[in-house]
Amino acid sequence: MAQQQDRGDTLIEIVLTVVITAISVGALIAALATAGTAGAAQRNSVSTDTIMRNYAEATKAAARLCTGGAEFSVPFEATGFEVATSPEHVVCPPPTATQQLDLSVTGPTGVTQTMTIKIRTP
Amino acid sequence: MNEVTHRHEDRGAALILAVAFVVMIGTIGAGLAALVTSSVNNRGALEKVRDRQYAADGAIEDAIVQVRLAATSGSDTCASNSGVSRTPSINSSDIRVDWRSACGVVRSAEGLVLVQRDVIFSACLDTNVACTDASIIIRAQVNFEQAASGAVTKTYVQSWSMNQ
Repeated sequence: MAQQQDRGDTLIEIVLTVVITAISVGALIAALATAGTAGAAQRNSVSTDTIMRNYAEATKAAARLCTGGAEFSVPFEATGFEVATSPEHVVCPPPTATQQLDLSVTGPTGVTQTMTIKIRTP
Repeated sequence: MNEVTHRHEDRGAALILAVAFVVMIGTIGAGLAALVTSSVNNRGALEKVRDRQYAADGAIEDAIVQVRLAATSGSDTCASNSGVSRTPSINSSDIRVDWRSACGVVRSAEGLVLVQRDVIFSACLDTNVACTDASIIIRAQVNFEQAASGAVTKTYVQSWSMNQ
């Protein structure tokens, strides 16, 4: 009689254990998946940030070659990223003023970062 | 009897193991959550630093133009040797630039003594107090090439250091 009671308890325990373990493993897999997604987003964000800095430096380097009123263009390409400047068409500013530029970089996943810089004619 | 006692001692063992397993999984999950949160926070902080650095960079460019204008118009000489320039918000940062002249003389190949007009610019967040060594974001030294008329013909960046 006592043995039969023990058998019943063990079965319930096993079922409970399996359920709890399954829920735990499910949660762990979900957590790992979330961490993976967050890691990818982080990597993309860092890459976009690096491209943004490179683009800003390329823009400032191009400005250092400026003479007032000349056409201003930035030779910059980054595979998988789209870069843009606003205003789109810029001439070198006169030596008595700075030109504000809004830079934007869009990463492979569509995330866009923006930043404002100023350039001047040396 | 002994066998029955043993079985009674084992009762609940699986549940305890399962609870321990849940605790272990929970700890791992919490660790992962902390890692992700920390990464996201760091990312945001680094973006703020980048934006602030380029805001300071732009503010110094503005200050250089102002000093250039003052020198060209003759309202500023090496003797009048300091000033403050404030730039409206760039990248959500208000920047203040303190500048002071660091003029010197050099002797040319022809034996002429020439004045070198150098200016040191210090950019920091604008808190209505002068920039200090601890608060400076960018420090730059710029040489202003001037014609005999006083007009600045070109500027040369001699140093440009990012401090934070």
